[in-house]
Amino acid sequence: MTKKPMTRREVIRVLGTSVLSALPATALAGARQQLVKGTASGPLLQVALVPCPDYGPENLATAIRAGWRSSRPPDVRGKRVVIKPNIADFSAERPIHTDPRLVESLILQLKKLEAREIILAEGPPHNRDTEWLFRKSGFEALANRQSVPLVDLNYDDISPVKCVNPRATLLKELYLPRTILSADVIISVAKMKTHRHAGITLSLKNMFGILPGMKYGWPKNILHWNGIPLSICEINGTLKTHFSIIDGVVGMEGYGPLLGTARKAGVLVMGDNALAVDATAARVMGIDPARVEYLAMAHKIKLGSLRREDIAVAGEKIEKVRADFVLDPEYSFLRAPKG
Amino acid sequence: MGPTKVMLNLSLPRALDFIKANQNPDGGWGYRPGGDSLVEPTGLCALALSSGRDKTADGRGLDFLKACLKDSGAVGIHPKDPEGNWMAYAALLAFHAFGAASEERRLRDWILSFEDAAGLFSPTDIKAIATAYRFDASIRGWPWTANTSGWVEPTALFIIALSRAGVPATEKRIKSGVDLILDRKVPSGGWNFGNPYSKSYELDASVMSTALALAALGAAGVPESRPAVGEGIRFLTRSLAGDTSTASLAWVLLALNCYPAGAALAPKVSARLAGLQAADGSFRQNLFETALAYLVLSEAAIFVRAPGKGR
Repeated sequence: MTKKPMTRREVIRVLGTSVLSALPATALAGARQQLVKGTASGPLLQVALVPCPDYGPENLATAIRAGWRSSRPPDVRGKRVVIKPNIADFSAERPIHTDPRLVESLILQLKKLEAREIILAEGPPHNRDTEWLFRKSGFEALANRQSVPLVDLNYDDISPVKCVNPRATLLKELYLPRTILSADVIISVAKMKTHRHAGITLSLKNMFGILPGMKYGWPKNILHWNGIPLSICEINGTLKTHFSIIDGVVGMEGYGPLLGTARKAGVLVMGDNALAVDATAARVMGIDPARVEYLAMAHKIKLGSLRREDIAVAGEKIEKVRADFVLDPEYSFLRAPKG
Repeated sequence: MGPTKVMLNLSLPRALDFIKANQNPDGGWGYRPGGDSLVEPTGLCALALSSGRDKTADGRGLDFLKACLKDSGAVGIHPKDPEGNWMAYAALLAFHAFGAASEERRLRDWILSFEDAAGLFSPTDIKAIATAYRFDASIRGWPWTANTSGWVEPTALFIIALSRAGVPATEKRIKSGVDLILDRKVPSGGWNFGNPYSKSYELDASVMSTALALAALGAAGVPESRPAVGEGIRFLTRSLAGDTSTASLAWVLLALNCYPAGAALAPKVSARLAGLQAADGSFRQNLFETALAYLVLSEAAIFVRAPGKGR
């Protein structure tokens, strides 16, 4: 067959991962889940940016409480809450996954707020050995300590959900785990990391992990063939994340999300709009969110806003905690100018 | 010290009891008790019961698998799945074991036509991939799901199942699949999901991927003298000193039994795996893992014709 050669970046994305796709502004015209309506007066989105110098339980509890108070958290009382951490893989040397101590602190907060049921759920993307991964990353022990279920979304029961994008091609239907579909509240707890195929990975990208491997494979390669930006927007347009927390206490810079190096930012970023949270976290990383293709696409289709003037940041000032994460040379264009 | 034959015989039947007790009304099994019936756990649970000589429950499992077979010969994850995918390997093993000749032939033909994305890449693409990831993207293997890239584990699973179903190692898809596995080897030994490198970084091998790759190479008759095989066995040997999951241990046992150098380690791995069986007969309350563990502990030949061991 005759075909047009892909660009080098396209080829690289397909394999590890993807083909770039341009999504028209109207493509998610039916995006009812995460859609944010603009207003003429003042910021419409609120994000908490709270200092957290380390993973000590007291510092974490203080930061979680402060972030919860100063953002717009969901009402969890009597609700079934699913927490989706990022457990992309495990390395003893590199901070790949969301720190379980942060998730434990969140669980304690949710228990105080009288959540009816709390579930930890993740579908790791590459490594099919979830038993090993959950154990090594400390999440199995956490689940046992807090008596909460830990669900491997890669093998959960699934149901088809029509993709919100009427022009969807590869993902006309999303097969989603019932653990996710039956949640009253979904909380994404992502790691602040650079990403070799997406530039950065935060809350929106974290939701790749809800798609079950048994249907989409390891890695979830069809999401890469569909185009990473488009897949992120189709998933997050179809399914709402009610609250997002970015673990920026220690993140990853350089050649993330698996092979980069640890970078301390000393913050948590929290809020009810995943795009606004991601845009704020990107600024903390010294990255212009408008230059991140999937964030720009998410903004264009109104999954929220990445514009500074639309986001009220409570807590620390971004400039005060800005920690320019080292970028892979291929993504040096993401760097935001200072000042 | 490894478990004695008597110990294994005493405890293993409880695995079958667990499997029988958790069969769904539609004849299939899910990964967990009460979960939706799916092809992979159903294929293995039916095989386990069959080898335990339970003809009622395994027959209903076979009927569920037959209901998953589409007109095209494809099998997906369950009867309503519109597409075929990787779980078809488990259905092929079951169709073969049960003598469902017509279904076996149709599914085998579909698997042999189930393509990965290798044919979609231009020479320029292939060159770029070789630069970034250091493997040959023109080699055809099998994908997890249609029209996506080929990866080590689905390629291995299909080679294992096709070989067991009597497709010779000289068949061109199996040969190509073997080439893909050999090409994707991590330089320091073993395999991961399928990327030996990312730019200048060598990626880590994993136990499960390595075990599946070795079992597939064994099934296809690739000899122990091939450096990749020896390096893979040494990687597994090193890894066994650390934390290893139930499913990985089971696949490791299968892989080790394919090669003389590995067979010496097999009794210890058998003992370790057998020791993970819970009081209810299950392995982690997971029906797939329980069936897999039962099969490899009792008669691994149902999966793989190990060199020199006959079918």
